[in-house]
Amino acid sequence: MTKIGLEIHCQLTNLESKLFCSCKANYRQFDINENICPVCMGLPGSLPRLNQDAVKKATMIAMALNCSTPEKIAFFRKNYFYPDLPKNFQITQLNIYGDTSVGGSGSIMVGDKKIRITRIQLEEDPGRLIYEGNSSKNQITLVDYNRAGTPLVEIVTEPDFENPKQVREFLNILSDLLENLGVSDPSLEGAMRADANVSIEGGKKVEIKNIGSFHDLEKAVHFEITRQESLHSREIEISQETRHWDDKRKITISSRSKEEALDYRYFLEGDIPWVTINPEILQKLKLEMPESISSKKERYVSKYKIPNQVADVLSSDKFYSDLFEDSHTEANAKEIANIITTDLMGLVDTREKREASKITPKHLGDLADAIQNGKISRNSAKNALHEIVKTGKELSQIITDLDLGNVSDESELLVIIKDVISEEPQAVEQAKSNPQTINYLVGKVMQKTKGKADPKLTLDVLKKQIEQ
Amino acid sequence: MVTEEEIEKVAKLMKIEVDDHKEYVDKVHAMIDYFDILDSAGVEDEEITMQEIPITDLREDEYIPFEEKLIEKLNHYKGTYVRAPKMS
Amino acid sequence: MNLKISALDYVQEVQNGNISAEDFIASTLERIRSVDEKLHAFLNVNEDALNQAREIDKKIKSGQKVGACFGMPISIKDNMCIKNSKTTCASKMLENFVAPYDATVISKLKAKDAIFIGKVNMDEFAMGLTTEFSAYGPSKNPWNLDYTPGGSSGGSAVSVSAFECVASLGSDTGGSVRNPASFCSVVGLKPTYGLISRFGLISYANSIEQIGPVTRTVKDNAFLLNMIAGLDSNDNTTVDNKNEDYLSGIDSGIEGKKIGIIKEMIADGTDPAVLSATKEAISKLENLGATCEEVSLDMVKYSVAAYYTITATEAGSNLARYDNLRYGYDFSLEGYEFNSYIQKARKNFGPEVTRRMIIGGFVPSAGHAGKYFLKALKVKNKLTKEINEAFKKYDLLLSPTVPVLPFKLGEKIDDPVALFLVDINTVTANLTGKPAISVPFAISNGLPIGIQFLADSMNENMLLQAAYALEKTVKLPEVPI
Repeated sequence: MTKIGLEIHCQLTNLESKLFCSCKANYRQFDINENICPVCMGLPGSLPRLNQDAVKKATMIAMALNCSTPEKIAFFRKNYFYPDLPKNFQITQLNIYGDTSVGGSGSIMVGDKKIRITRIQLEEDPGRLIYEGNSSKNQITLVDYNRAGTPLVEIVTEPDFENPKQVREFLNILSDLLENLGVSDPSLEGAMRADANVSIEGGKKVEIKNIGSFHDLEKAVHFEITRQESLHSREIEISQETRHWDDKRKITISSRSKEEALDYRYFLEGDIPWVTINPEILQKLKLEMPESISSKKERYVSKYKIPNQVADVLSSDKFYSDLFEDSHTEANAKEIANIITTDLMGLVDTREKREASKITPKHLGDLADAIQNGKISRNSAKNALHEIVKTGKELSQIITDLDLGNVSDESELLVIIKDVISEEPQAVEQAKSNPQTINYLVGKVMQKTKGKADPKLTLDVLKKQIEQ
Repeated sequence: MVTEEEIEKVAKLMKIEVDDHKEYVDKVHAMIDYFDILDSAGVEDEEITMQEIPITDLREDEYIPFEEKLIEKLNHYKGTYVRAPKMS
Repeated sequence: MNLKISALDYVQEVQNGNISAEDFIASTLERIRSVDEKLHAFLNVNEDALNQAREIDKKIKSGQKVGACFGMPISIKDNMCIKNSKTTCASKMLENFVAPYDATVISKLKAKDAIFIGKVNMDEFAMGLTTEFSAYGPSKNPWNLDYTPGGSSGGSAVSVSAFECVASLGSDTGGSVRNPASFCSVVGLKPTYGLISRFGLISYANSIEQIGPVTRTVKDNAFLLNMIAGLDSNDNTTVDNKNEDYLSGIDSGIEGKKIGIIKEMIADGTDPAVLSATKEAISKLENLGATCEEVSLDMVKYSVAAYYTITATEAGSNLARYDNLRYGYDFSLEGYEFNSYIQKARKNFGPEVTRRMIIGGFVPSAGHAGKYFLKALKVKNKLTKEINEAFKKYDLLLSPTVPVLPFKLGEKIDDPVALFLVDINTVTANLTGKPAISVPFAISNGLPIGIQFLADSMNENMLLQAAYALEKTVKLPEVPI
């Protein structure tokens, strides 16, 4: 049986500051080495100052993944030399003296499959290496430390996945969950990275390192299974090794075997005392946690009678569910859910479009109310939404500017209806015996009003006129 | 007993190049041998403990940039990069 | 100008207008020029000190608020960062390192208008107890220039003892303040772990070390402690001392106090002169109304092995950052591959640091942690339990600071294990986090002997009271330089 385990690295991008110093957690806006200080550069004499919120956010992730949360957490040093590591050790967590990482064992359901979580740990991200020069002979290594010290949560799973599809489903659930918790923006470049271990029946475990995105993770796992199966079918032994994901060629390549396994000499980080998180604080954190996606979905279905599929889409995306939560009333909830899932999602389907979008919860509420009060047709609402996203103008303004308002003045409508009746005598006759035909006549009225006739009013007036 | 190979392996791990082998190996030996006394301390059942700090005493999450351009005071190359040797 | 006055007298004199900061600093600089060639306490001298003194005098004259140090010249061990000045840890590895920030103790003392007269010598990265492992040459004991002043804060003790400054800051990982204080006949304090911020102190073994004041009198030590102790948001290991005033009540005496004499610290191998001085100290304390009896701390026998195991492990990690990429000394990386460059660059570490780094790679490594490092941590834990028990019975514990007399330069440098044993009486305070102080007590054949008190955590007040009581019972000769 194929077994796949994952180690997911997730940056807490929504924090203000780094894990151990007050430099910016989201380093992406800075010029090279301009987001550094003596602490994240590990200068002689500097000491780590642990970020309280990083511990809280990491604990929330642990809770959301149903992991145990210890009352005491400890930090360890992982010692190895690398130029992206300013202290030549990484401050991380480990469970060698009891469960002292932010999250102990837990699990999450992926469809019908239970994926066990081994542990969740809080650690610092290293800097970034940039290689210049095209051959190894004239290679120049450059280092940018802006990222060094960014809070990173590592989620380690048991080897419970059986195929790449389960991996993908898990990653989708996980990124929605992290976004919903408000701890991270998975769409930021480099915010989510992963290592994977893959073994097939009868083969040894192979580690794949350096997978830079969730998208590539599924591909890498898929590639690796195919590679191993092909070896197996040719009766070539699959050896235990570490491979790297080459994200240009989309293949895994064997890492030149290091002379010997590294010995990280893990030991307790004396500069950070054990952090105690008492039960009251854990309870408070639990209460502060945003509602889970599944509970949101359930509420949408039961309270607002929103169809299952719509509720599913709406609840799993934080951007849309936040818009929904901030805009709906009991009366217009279903309408807003519809606007979001049928129209808005098509308009802002990329990160850039979302960021550029000018839409506010008030816009959505206004729009849904206008539809329900017959002030605007669904068709015109679509045009109005487009304009809202683009300009952010008030709905009333847009209706006036683009002349999108419904023709809801009865006398005005009567003139148009009388025109249609005189133009379509046959249909009028049929409508008297066959009520279905009346819809055809409504359509004609809509045509004449460019879709702006209030549909309910049109129907009422038409019926009255035909019966006369 | 600690072997010479072990000490050399460790020196490599610690990124230390040792010229005068005998000098280092002998002294390091003597030091490590002295630590054998720990075997008779009878502390197997002791716990490993540490100082504690309540989470509420930790720093609040606030962005405060360092007061000056630190990179200008450190080795830099090609603008504001730090240069490292080539990686094998 | 009398440079031999205490810190408290200095403050008084300047405040009363009897002397000016400028004159005092000028004389101090003159003193350094005349004696430091022989003593080698200083690695560098603050060229701007006179200007700073003039500024302070100006403030005094114009009636502005002046910090409690009034321009007092203080020397600083060269492992504490002073912004824009060289901080070398007496290592070639940090030959060109200019600190871009102030250590917390430095900013606190700056705010009190202290003048940092210079950076003083030490064993490289504080590893040693003779100052002989300084990459810039040893310091000499002012009581006898052929002898070691102790270490690693040798420069601190020498500069205070030889009147090259009024006070000094050292750091104490296993006795590095108390040992040279004892060897140079000055007062040295290792406070409770966490009482003084370590931010800006270059780490050797961060889980047990503390900055400590070195002064000529116990009261001066309390005065300096007042300036630098307390909670610091830059150091998560600091503890709140509620702005305790260590000078108030310092003359409370020790009548009725129970003092435990640590048996394992006056065991075989203790120099007879040291032993008899210790006995004399005990009888003087009894005369002052204290009761003294022997107490055994069984784990002390293992404390030195545990100490070196733990410190080597932490040092191996703390010193890993010195790869010469971001700062350090001039050494081009052109033509090198990563591993070979780092290995070559790190050859600038001296032999003792190199040895301890190898040990630091060995004792916590996968195959050996169980035998060495974890056992050492457990000894530390058990020793702490033992000493906590002792403090239920005794107010204070006592021992000679060092079991031997100061020895000659070069005498023990080639025998690391013999050097280990010099630390036997001092490492317990570090492993257990307790405060300890060394008080000058006797001079034997021209060589100083210090007595050490230990107190329970955050009980510096009582520690200083006992030290002050003992100090008052002796009149020691003046340093012969």
